[in-house]
Amino acid sequence: MVNNILLLVYRNLVAAIDKSFLIWMVAFPVVYIFIVGYAYSTLIGNREINIGSVSVTYTSFLTSGVIGFNAMNGSSAVAGGIVWNDKRNGMLQQLLVMQFSKVQYIIGNLITIILIGLVSAALIMIIGLPTMYKNANITLWSVPYIIYALASGSVFFGSFTIILSTKIKSSEAHNVISNGLFLFFTFVSSAFYPAQGLPGPLTIAFYLNPLTYIVDISRAGIFSQISAFTNIQVLILGALAATVFVIAIRSMVSMKV
Amino acid sequence: MCKIQKSENCISVSNLRKRYGKANTYAINDITFDVKYGSVFGFLGPNGAGKTTTVKILTTLLRATSGSIYIFGRQLLKNQSEIKKRVGVVSQNPSFETNLTVEKALDLYGILWGLKDKQLRKEKINKILNTFDLESIKSIKNDELSIGQRRRVQVAREFIHEMDLLFLDEPTVGLDPSARRLLLDYIKSQVKSGLTVFFTTHIMEEAEYLCDQIAIMDKGKIIAFDTPSGLKQKYGKGTKTIELTFNDIPNKLLIDHLKNIVNKRQSRKDPNGTNSFIGFNGVHTITITADNVEEIISEVLQLIYKDGLQLENISIIPPSLEEVFLSVVDKNGYSNGREVGR
Repeated sequence: MVNNILLLVYRNLVAAIDKSFLIWMVAFPVVYIFIVGYAYSTLIGNREINIGSVSVTYTSFLTSGVIGFNAMNGSSAVAGGIVWNDKRNGMLQQLLVMQFSKVQYIIGNLITIILIGLVSAALIMIIGLPTMYKNANITLWSVPYIIYALASGSVFFGSFTIILSTKIKSSEAHNVISNGLFLFFTFVSSAFYPAQGLPGPLTIAFYLNPLTYIVDISRAGIFSQISAFTNIQVLILGALAATVFVIAIRSMVSMKV
Repeated sequence: MCKIQKSENCISVSNLRKRYGKANTYAINDITFDVKYGSVFGFLGPNGAGKTTTVKILTTLLRATSGSIYIFGRQLLKNQSEIKKRVGVVSQNPSFETNLTVEKALDLYGILWGLKDKQLRKEKINKILNTFDLESIKSIKNDELSIGQRRRVQVAREFIHEMDLLFLDEPTVGLDPSARRLLLDYIKSQVKSGLTVFFTTHIMEEAEYLCDQIAIMDKGKIIAFDTPSGLKQKYGKGTKTIELTFNDIPNKLLIDHLKNIVNKRQSRKDPNGTNSFIGFNGVHTITITADNVEEIISEVLQLIYKDGLQLENISIIPPSLEEVFLSVVDKNGYSNGREVGR
């Protein structure tokens, strides 16, 4: 069982990751951090942004947001890609006539999603370190929050794209729907700007978006600003990830082969 | 091969039925058959007959509504993980890893089948690339291959692992004649080494060339089952075809006289029979298909002699498997376009 799952994870990583995916995973956030970050900083001036009791520069704030954003991007791209391609290119059927079961296939995908989410987030943490090192204060106590936020965020977005991939039939519809939804997830979140002080309806929209929770929790961990509200966000994100994951399992199980 | 052989039959299927949802009709309706070790079992039938559904059940992709299946002498559903390790499947639909080159995809497939030794894997891959003439495309991504090339890779890939039983669901679709012959010959050689093959196809020449036993399926039932020659004997009913090729174009009067001869025999033997008829191959060749051509031929030759026509060639052709197939399926009331079994 374990061996089969590890084989499937290995297969997912080999089959899903190619040069273009790696370039996209690094280049996209680098543009956000070093171009958008510094460009907007000139607009904002010297104003710093409050995270709990600390104030950070906009580039620091943005980098900590892009870490969560990249976990979302990486996990959703990989999960959607694997299931979409396996369904369309017959590999799901082929794997199931081999020694693998559907349960093993699902667990293999889950592990792949979390791995990709964490690795892509870690990659941005390393790349964006120069912009954060003055303000970041990662402690033993805050590390689990960061990992939890990124892992459960990856599960949420990975599962979400799996649902889209299993339910939508045409690639055109798939592209339009997923691009539209991810535009909302990306920009109606606290990844690029703080949620505090926004007009009421926009604040509600921000907190309807799981990326806000991922970013808020991981940011609280990076700057050691964990509060009671952070713990509430932890619970909400866990519940959302679990719910969407269960729906994803159901749609994968009912997938026709 | 056949390391886990514990019974006489490699596959034993009894009273298998499959109904989709709450449908009234069965896609597979009470089929029973055995497949012997080291043989090729051909599964023929028109579109929607239930062939692919049967393969899907035998490869655990679908659950049967009722019936029992034993593979290698063991109940399939209770021992599926163990059984599946010794079974290869080439599905009707293409399956490939988009981003990988042919060589990398073969390597990954080997790893998935548990070939841990890198050197052994490399040797196997080289052998497969060589056997299936894939050397020239080994560095091309699957996504960039033609349909036929992809199919070749899909079939070849299955031979990377040791197996006792191979399911081939219309494996030659999209293959050119030389690739097709190469595959059939390779399968034959593997069968000689002990491999058992469950083979579905629409191409009768392939079935005749490869299969030791053939089951013809229609409307979810097996309607004929025998060796290829047994089927011809049983269902060909001695029907043969006389092929007459003339130097000149035969005139209408001769054709009318030939029709009279055939009709006379037809009404005398079996008034409702449909086995006797006249056909044309181009303008110089007339074919006469009848139950007992030996009785007709002297009359036909006399007629041609009287007419003074020059015969270029005359041959008597035994029934082909395709004719047997058409005759069996027609009798069963073939309904074209019906898609019960998908």
